[in-house]
Amino acid sequence: MGKSSKDKRDLYYRKAKEQGYRARSAFKLLQLNDQFHFLDDPNLKRVVDLCAAPGSWSQVLSRKLFDESPSSDKEDRKIVSVDLQPMSPIPHVTTLQADITHPKTLARILKLFGNEKADFVCSDGAPDVTGLHDLDEYVQQQLIMSALQLTACILKKGGTFVAKIFRGRDIDMLYSQLGYLFDKIVCAKPRSSRGTSLEAFIVCLGYNPPSNWTPKLDVNTSVDEFFQGCFLNKLCISDKLSHWNEEERNIAEFMACGSLQSFDSDATYHDLPSSVAGTSSSLDPVQSPTNPPYKKALELKRSGKLTRSV
Amino acid sequence: MKDLSHYGPALCVKFYNDYVLAGYGPFIHVYDYHSATLINKCRLFHYNKVHGLSLSSEGKILAYGARSVTIVELEDVLKKESLVDFERINSDWITGATFSFDNLQIYLLTCYNKVLICDLNCEVLFRKSLGGERSILYSGIIKVFGPDKVYVNAGTVMGGVIIWDLFSETKIHNLLGHEGSIFYVNLSNNGRYVASCSDDRSIRLWDLETGKQLSVGWSHTARIWNLMFFDNDSKLISVSEDCTCRVWNIIESRENVAELSISNVYEVHLIKSIWGVDVKDDEMIAVTSGNDGRLKLIDLLQLKRHGDEETSFSLDDIAKQCGDIFEKNESIKGFQWFSFGVIAITSLGKILKYSDVTKQWKLLLTNEKFNSYPITNGIQTQNIAVFSNNKSDILLIKFSKDSADIIETEEFHLDELSKTNNCLVTEYDDDSFLLTLQSPNPREKFVCLEISLQNLKIKSKHCFNKPENFSSSCLTSFRNHILVGSRFSTLVIYNLLDESEEPFIIRRLSPGDTTTSIEFVEDKDNSAVFSVTNRDGYYVFIELTKNSLEEGPYRLSYKVLHSNKMMKGFLEGAFFNSKGEYITYGFKSSLFYLYNETNCYELASEVCGGSHRLWNLAKITDGHVLMYIKASRFHLRKIYNSIVPETLENGVHGREIRDISICPVSNTNTNDNFKDGHIFCTASEDTTIKLGYFNNRTGKVQNFWTQRKHVSGLQRCQFINHKLMISSSAREELFLWELNDKYNKRPYMTIRQALPVSTNNPDLRIMDFDVKFISQSGDFLLVTVYSDSTIKIWHYRENQNKFDLIMQGRYKTCCLFNVVFIALKEELLVVISPTDGHLVVYNITEYVPFSVDPISGDLVDHKLDPTISNLPAPVAQLPVHQSGIKSLDYVANATRTSATILTGGDDNGLGLSNLKLDDSNKVTLKTSDFIAAAASSTITSGMLINGGKEVITTSVDQVIRAWEITAGKLSLVDKKRTTVADTGSLDIISNDEDADSDKTLLIGGVGLSIWKK
Ligand SMILES: C[S@@+](CC[C@H](N)C(=O)[O-])C[C@H]1O[C@@H](n2cnc3c(N)ncnc32)[C@H](O)[C@@H]1O
Repeated sequence: MGKSSKDKRDLYYRKAKEQGYRARSAFKLLQLNDQFHFLDDPNLKRVVDLCAAPGSWSQVLSRKLFDESPSSDKEDRKIVSVDLQPMSPIPHVTTLQADITHPKTLARILKLFGNEKADFVCSDGAPDVTGLHDLDEYVQQQLIMSALQLTACILKKGGTFVAKIFRGRDIDMLYSQLGYLFDKIVCAKPRSSRGTSLEAFIVCLGYNPPSNWTPKLDVNTSVDEFFQGCFLNKLCISDKLSHWNEEERNIAEFMACGSLQSFDSDATYHDLPSSVAGTSSSLDPVQSPTNPPYKKALELKRSGKLTRSV
Repeated sequence: MKDLSHYGPALCVKFYNDYVLAGYGPFIHVYDYHSATLINKCRLFHYNKVHGLSLSSEGKILAYGARSVTIVELEDVLKKESLVDFERINSDWITGATFSFDNLQIYLLTCYNKVLICDLNCEVLFRKSLGGERSILYSGIIKVFGPDKVYVNAGTVMGGVIIWDLFSETKIHNLLGHEGSIFYVNLSNNGRYVASCSDDRSIRLWDLETGKQLSVGWSHTARIWNLMFFDNDSKLISVSEDCTCRVWNIIESRENVAELSISNVYEVHLIKSIWGVDVKDDEMIAVTSGNDGRLKLIDLLQLKRHGDEETSFSLDDIAKQCGDIFEKNESIKGFQWFSFGVIAITSLGKILKYSDVTKQWKLLLTNEKFNSYPITNGIQTQNIAVFSNNKSDILLIKFSKDSADIIETEEFHLDELSKTNNCLVTEYDDDSFLLTLQSPNPREKFVCLEISLQNLKIKSKHCFNKPENFSSSCLTSFRNHILVGSRFSTLVIYNLLDESEEPFIIRRLSPGDTTTSIEFVEDKDNSAVFSVTNRDGYYVFIELTKNSLEEGPYRLSYKVLHSNKMMKGFLEGAFFNSKGEYITYGFKSSLFYLYNETNCYELASEVCGGSHRLWNLAKITDGHVLMYIKASRFHLRKIYNSIVPETLENGVHGREIRDISICPVSNTNTNDNFKDGHIFCTASEDTTIKLGYFNNRTGKVQNFWTQRKHVSGLQRCQFINHKLMISSSAREELFLWELNDKYNKRPYMTIRQALPVSTNNPDLRIMDFDVKFISQSGDFLLVTVYSDSTIKIWHYRENQNKFDLIMQGRYKTCCLFNVVFIALKEELLVVISPTDGHLVVYNITEYVPFSVDPISGDLVDHKLDPTISNLPAPVAQLPVHQSGIKSLDYVANATRTSATILTGGDDNGLGLSNLKLDDSNKVTLKTSDFIAAAASSTITSGMLINGGKEVITTSVDQVIRAWEITAGKLSLVDKKRTTVADTGSLDIISNDEDADSDKTLLIGGVGLSIWKK
């Protein structure tokens, strides 16, 4: 992606460039942390960043856990980052190119952690949107459910899980399911996330699964089977497709994150506020150029090969 | 609250005997497609959308969508309103579903690549899967070849197409080659081929047996969502995000070699996405369904159905048939279509006839006078051909109706002109037609001849003065006038009864290319409406009015009623079809097109090489005929009217509707055609504004116009009274529109003024605006709020048609979402809602040259000199929401001492605040109620109704909620789900004066729903 005029006016984009982040998304995690301080815990040692490319959240984690940490003993700290896309290396981060909805991926991550538990799991995953809102929302929730499966296997009791959500039609069903696994669920919206987008983040605090439920990962079980006995509101898998019933829904508390003094991602700025002024004049895209699947189609179009001749 | 009608994404369609079945939101619509009648709408699911349909030969329908599935009888679907009791829910998303070979079982493919085999009571009999291949799928189908041969075809997110055998649960192929997620896979009925498409925008054809990739088809310019084989597996049809439907031939050359070759492109939906397609093989008709809610029928034999659609001749072919030899440089210089065929002229003055019956050419006569720049015209209905040359000679030939014998010829020379460079003809009255001649010499007259249809003799001659820069390009007559189109987008009107009268000239109707057509449309009282097209792509409707006798001497005046621009290309003409739809035609790149402008789809196109050629379009009884020269060949292309209805449903916008505004009924509107409902506007992310009409009782929507003036996605549209509407968007675009609904056939709408922008390259978004009229006038104050926190106040004066800036300032640096004017007592307040969740109040009374009438609350103009003042400091600021306020509405109390303000936010909250002026006119602002979880997602619109006693809200969670207000507190009274996703806009109208009467609600988002309350 080149730099459009929109990018030039986007202060978070400029700030990301200035602070060496690969994407403006870094500020979403930072603003969430300003509110919840989950990355400021000195005992935070092992974290998983799912759907991490190009890697700005991993950069934040790497800085928090290593560069900025006052602790002298960083031996047992670990960051594992996973994405469908390849990622260029980040100090102290182990990267894995894989599909998080694939059951084998979870097994690979678990292996990287050995027998140790993680303190924090996050996922900023977003699928390719098709424009079919119900499907897009579903796939997004499936990414979260995959992340949650891993979380259930790896997160220590009391740990935190953060994930990107799109607040659409069935988001309240997700809130209600998460309620069975965590003490507190908050729907947080950092100011760096555009008010005009449906994006928000669930911050799930205090991992606390039902005591009578043990998560078991098996490459052939479905997400639903995995959570059998956990989501008490769900009907058991039976030999008959169930009749339609209104499913349990819950509205999570909403919290705007980032102070009112932070930049407004919906605004158009004229003069650069002093904090971002002084950035070098040439602003290359922060995100490394992507290699979209439709690259060949674009080339054909550019060379006039797709113009209508019938 | 109850839904009346819904227009929105139609995700699947199927032919079944004489029916078309379409998944339309949670409903199935059944149409008799030969007559385009909607037979029934039947609700299948509580609120999931129907994504797919499968039909059994026994009249059973298997429908699925999201996690829902149902098996119902076609018989019931034809009659019943709802079959939701049969809805079943699976734990995972259902990607594909089909009946078994014996129709006694169903197979459901889930998004995790598992198949459930169920009986017809949805009892799960078996669960099948492919070990270790459980990642998520966007697409997949199950193909039943026989009782024991069932293949599952799964499209993964990593570019692989996995084909596996259902019963043995073994993998047959993992077809690799695509990049990105696979969006559809299908198999040919003969079991030879697999076709797939992915994010890479290609279609790939594979050999099912060997798994070898046979061919890659490039043509679509965006993602492809669906494809199927048809015509005995010899063709493929695909539909895409690029809004086209494309047909591919599968060319088999040798054994195991097959090639995809694109054979046709149909541009038939609005941006963006066509989701569903089906083909009726025996009739070669396709049906497509799109995000725009349109169901489009396509004749796949548009070039072959009648057999004579395409004919072409080289000069040699023609010469041979004529028994003549053409000279080396001789070429065809003009042609005209008549009931019997074509009359053409060559550069050597040979006049040729082509019979459409015998398909033969014949040389009729040679007249060497007409070898210098011959121009060919004709009065088609009378079979009169008209030839002229640059020396002012004219040759008229009249043919008999059927046999094309010459029954009359006439030749004359016009001495008035030294030279001619254009000749035009038009019908006039029952006995004569008109012919105009123009000389390149600006001092010479413009001559109009009235010629007898009977004997071709000149009945009268009119010599008119020519205005400057006049160059006639098209002609029509109306009563005793001729209307002549010219270059520079000019129109000149002459009175045939008085040559000495100065012509009435209309200049620069559009930016300024050649006027290509003028057509009379309709008239009322002393006014007549004409459609005028320009080559630059603009079309304009003008109203010509003759003053009445009481008003003094005869005088013409005109007014632009409507103007718009075609998307791209050259516009050569337009007309209304029998259904009252506006049809335009012209060229874009190498294509000639016919386009249904009312409903926005291409009717036909022809690759003719582009606009720089000799061409002519004529009406025939059952369609049109296009004649053109390409590479020295003469081409005849017949474009027949479709044998099936063009659409079953026209739909609305293909992208999100950001705002809706219903035109308030005025008592001056006595037009009976619009009395059962309302005219309304929708403003969309697709950058267009649609003007339509809905029927109050049925909820049926009719489209009139799609305005393309904005270049960026719309933010707002709002009728500010019964004839003016304002729209705003990014790039600081704000336009004032004028509606005219006095004519019988349709309303018209044109731009009256654009708001001045702050820089040459504006990049601010105008997020919202409000208007306050100045008492007893068409003047008003306008407040606009911007994405950079700017607030501007403008004074609009009707007689000058001008916006003057009178105040400006900024709140902070954050974006402002909403604004309203509130007049309390004698104070004029401006209330804004920024992204910081506050309500901010400014009192601007002292800073504007107007006062507030204490009784009516209207503005009174003090005619003071306008100056630009600065926005004063706010008089009240109140944090109500945690983040952006997305909706803002208010009502003032009866004494206008306070106002109730309703706010809906991105924080899911709904706030009720009280704005009050105390005795010393000090403003106080307090929140009286705040419901933190009023919705599970952003509240995008909220309206106070019934004088502030009730509230309706819409939110992105797709729930419409009705609230009551008692003593400043909100309570939820009703809650209904809507199938409109990204629910973002709402307008409500009372069906009569009484505030408590029933109301009509228009709810917009991805689609449009009409509700009753
Ligand atoms: C918004 S980006 C993440 C940005 C990242 N947090 C950062 O700060 O740089 C979303 C990512 O989700 C990834 N993703 C989507 N579906 C996935 C899946 N099934 N498995 C792994 N990654 C996935 C995409 O490849 C994409 O890189």
